[in-house]
Amino acid sequence: MDSTVDFKNNDDLAFFGKVNASISHELKNILAIISEAAGLLQDLTAMAAKGQKIELEMLNACSQDIIEEIQRGFTTIKQMNTFSHSVDAPLKSVNLIDVLDLMINLVGFLSFAGKVRFDPPQDEASMISTCPFRLQNLVYHTLIFAFRSVGPDGEIQVAVHRESNGSARIAFSGLGTRDGLSFPSEETKKIASSIGAEIRMADNSQAIDILVSPFSENSG
Amino acid sequence: MEVIMSNENKIKLLMVDDEVKFLESISKRLVLKNFDVTTAVNGKEAIESAEKGFFDVAVVDFQMPGMDGAQVLRTLKEKHKYLEIIMLTGHATVDSAVECTKLGAFKYLEKPYDFENLVETIQEAYEARLKKKFEHNQKRMEEIQKLSISSSPLGLLRAMARLDDDEK
Repeated sequence: MDSTVDFKNNDDLAFFGKVNASISHELKNILAIISEAAGLLQDLTAMAAKGQKIELEMLNACSQDIIEEIQRGFTTIKQMNTFSHSVDAPLKSVNLIDVLDLMINLVGFLSFAGKVRFDPPQDEASMISTCPFRLQNLVYHTLIFAFRSVGPDGEIQVAVHRESNGSARIAFSGLGTRDGLSFPSEETKKIASSIGAEIRMADNSQAIDILVSPFSENSG
Repeated sequence: MEVIMSNENKIKLLMVDDEVKFLESISKRLVLKNFDVTTAVNGKEAIESAEKGFFDVAVVDFQMPGMDGAQVLRTLKEKHKYLEIIMLTGHATVDSAVECTKLGAFKYLEKPYDFENLVETIQEAYEARLKKKFEHNQKRMEEIQKLSISSSPLGLLRAMARLDDDEK
């Protein structure tokens, strides 16, 4: 192992670690619910064995909770898998709608995340050639800022617009104006610049655009 | 451990967690263990419930949207000094454990925990609460006895009011 690796100041690694930590937290919550529901089933079984009357509705609700949480666990693991594979290729044609969908779900695991209104066009993909992992990093940190700005009860809007020059604009709107928050950080600007993207904040700080241009090995 | 108590002597629990299904399941299990359980899905609701009701022990999730567990712990302890509070967390860290202890948490448990261990911890917290209240009441009685020897009836009433103010 190279002892000179600076993990703390490696933005890519820091992002990968942060997202995985929040996924593990989500999975732990799911397991805690399954554990309690299974425990309740065990308690009810013990009561029935002693001849005590138990409500069938309680048994049914417990089983239903376990089924639903297992499903939620599968969905979370699928999202974790997609995220982990985003480091496979440094440059790839990605559907921006899929990237946004995944990041909205992953940011949703954070305790302060509020609601998002995201209405992607149903009939068309929004493909662009870029570094998927770094684009995810940009979207993730923009969403975190947006949620912090509106608070846990707020709602933000996300949309994707195609521009005539082949680039795309990811628009975040409905942001709040909380004191002490600033965006983008120098690190975020650096990530944007590394994939030829640009972050623009509206003058009133209530909207952010990420402009994503098609990126190739020669773009930089 | 089986907790058997008459209705009026049941341990009154306030369970606070934003994971609604977790809250429902654990509450049902605690009710089967003879606890009197009230639930709250966020910090604001927990503080309102504690204002309206009377609780022996609160079990509070550390990570919640809006007012987080540490803020809830701080507020509940300020307003209800004999309420014992057990903190639950998805991922325990030394920092969060130290923070909770400094703020007066009775204990800090990591999810998923052993249910019987939680029941025992609630029982211990309840006993700690009873002990603190008993010691406080005893001290108060001793002070009243001392005052009753040296004070006039009006002076005694004033001194008792001051003692009551100190409890808030």
